Amino acid sequence: MALPSCLKAFTRRISNSSPKPHLTCPSPTEIRRYTQHLSRPLQIYRSASTDPYLNLSIEHHLLQRSHPDSTILFLYANRPSVVIGRNQNPWLEVNLGALRQGLPPTQDERGEETARKNTPIALVRRRSGGGTVFHDAGNTNYSVICPPPAFDRDKHAEMVVRALGRLGVAGVRVNERHDIVMDVDTNKTFKVSGSAYKLTRARSLHHGTCLLRSENLGRVSGLLRSPAEAFIKARGVESVRSPIRNVGVDGEAFVDAVVGEFRNMYGDGAGREVVVGEEEALASEEVVKGLRELTSPDWIFGQTPQFTFSTHPTEDDPRERPEIAHALPYDFHAQFTVRHGEIQSAAIAGLEYHDFVDAASQDEILSNALVKQRVHYIKDWSTTLTRASPVPVDVDDAGEFLNHMFGIRPPADKGGAVAELMTGMISDTVVGEFLNGNIDL
Amino acid sequence: MASIARCLRAARPAAFSAVVRNSAARTIGVRAFSVTATNEIRKYTKEHEWIDLSADKKTGVLGISEYAAKQLGDIVYVELPEEGKEVQAGDSIGAVESVKSASDINAPVSCKITQINLVLEEKPGTINQVAEDDSHGGGWIAKVQVTEEGLKDLEKLMDVAAYEEFTVAEGEK
Repeated sequence: MALPSCLKAFTRRISNSSPKPHLTCPSPTEIRRYTQHLSRPLQIYRSASTDPYLNLSIEHHLLQRSHPDSTILFLYANRPSVVIGRNQNPWLEVNLGALRQGLPPTQDERGEETARKNTPIALVRRRSGGGTVFHDAGNTNYSVICPPPAFDRDKHAEMVVRALGRLGVAGVRVNERHDIVMDVDTNKTFKVSGSAYKLTRARSLHHGTCLLRSENLGRVSGLLRSPAEAFIKARGVESVRSPIRNVGVDGEAFVDAVVGEFRNMYGDGAGREVVVGEEEALASEEVVKGLRELTSPDWIFGQTPQFTFSTHPTEDDPRERPEIAHALPYDFHAQFTVRHGEIQSAAIAGLEYHDFVDAASQDEILSNALVKQRVHYIKDWSTTLTRASPVPVDVDDAGEFLNHMFGIRPPADKGGAVAELMTGMISDTVVGEFLNGNIDL
Repeated sequence: MASIARCLRAARPAAFSAVVRNSAARTIGVRAFSVTATNEIRKYTKEHEWIDLSADKKTGVLGISEYAAKQLGDIVYVELPEEGKEVQAGDSIGAVESVKSASDINAPVSCKITQINLVLEEKPGTINQVAEDDSHGGGWIAKVQVTEEGLKDLEKLMDVAAYEEFTVAEGEK
């Protein structure tokens, strides 16, 4: 008899950090390889993982490999994450500096800190459309995969509304944006759940968040407000800001109620829910392939639609700009166009050169040297500008300003490029350890 | 293009069938006036992509159908295919986003992408206006070199009349 994979010992080639990450497994009674169920007409899965990249990769695997006529419910909760839509711009949607700091330790009832260090926040680009959302343990995600002819943008949001009704949550409804909102009193409406969709040739996927008991709602707005907002004009999709709140139910109760409503819609054919463990998910080559894609800087940053950053109003983006730092040279101008993370054209002007040179032609040389650089790999703008200039130039203030705009903390300040920040944060997790080859299944 | 039939259908089924009939009729009308169209063959997939094959059967232009564009609603971003890429029929070559939905665009036949319509990146709504226009300023997505395999794939696709029938049937399902 083959041992269920979770019971096999796994070895770590390197053990350095503590506490050691460990893979979650369903308990032995729950073990049934989830891939065995992919051909059933009805399937219900829950993830044992809280890793946002892995959960989205399991979901993508279900989307691609389940029987085309099947209908699937998948439920999962993630560790703290900011999740941007497929065609969004992380520099515009996210305060990367705040994200880098993570969530401060919370206090328990006795006033003692529950963790010594800040909790990291993952930056994730999902494969579906729509805007940016925040996830944490107090937010549960539902996902329904069905054949395209059965697809309807509201149908499964309505299913969740019924589930919430079952739990005694009043005043919730699906709005015109296909989100679930809660009417409080007569004139206040809060978003409690956001919807997004991915439609492929053979399958349709609708997934949504549901804020249940997040302790971080007060921090979401700050995380989702970029310092560069007033300076960036982007192609692609901009988020629509909405006031949010929790519905105030437990994760387990929510899952049971959603599963119950799913069964009401489609019948009991799914049998028991299947719990997907991290180890068995990582044993699937296709899941790992999706995971490598989702965690790569090329996807998270390189997928960004073209945008233009400009310190001053332009024909294309005539908005008045906020006053930029006083320390900057009086006539400092910076404008560059970035496509898929790569600078296509740049125009920097007004820097102070130390040599007695024609500043305008120096500006041009410096600007040209920025072309082809990838913004998410820039470690420090001061260094980048200095290297781009053939003559000594005063770049400290301009560098600091651009670092702030693009969420960079320079290496001297224990920082680095935003791409490195993301890969570094992923490396510290069990999924990162696995991808780096430090964990064998 | 993914099958998007049900998105709005529940709301106004009758209106859609009418739109489909009109748009198909209009498409034929437009093509009659198009200079390049004289000897082209236009085919459609069940996933709502169209392809025009040139008279010499070596190159083609592809896009998504007017029917699909209407069903999708306001298109806010088009992820264009990669120039130079060789693809098989049915492969995902790009995507469009509308109403929070990322919808795959699939290759209607096996082909090599030779040119992409960069205008769509800046003006994605062009697809909502002129989805089946393969001229400059139109909503076409890519120009392609059609392989021999691609020519065989083409035989499995629907012509204008069959596609019209197909969308009407889908609208009435």
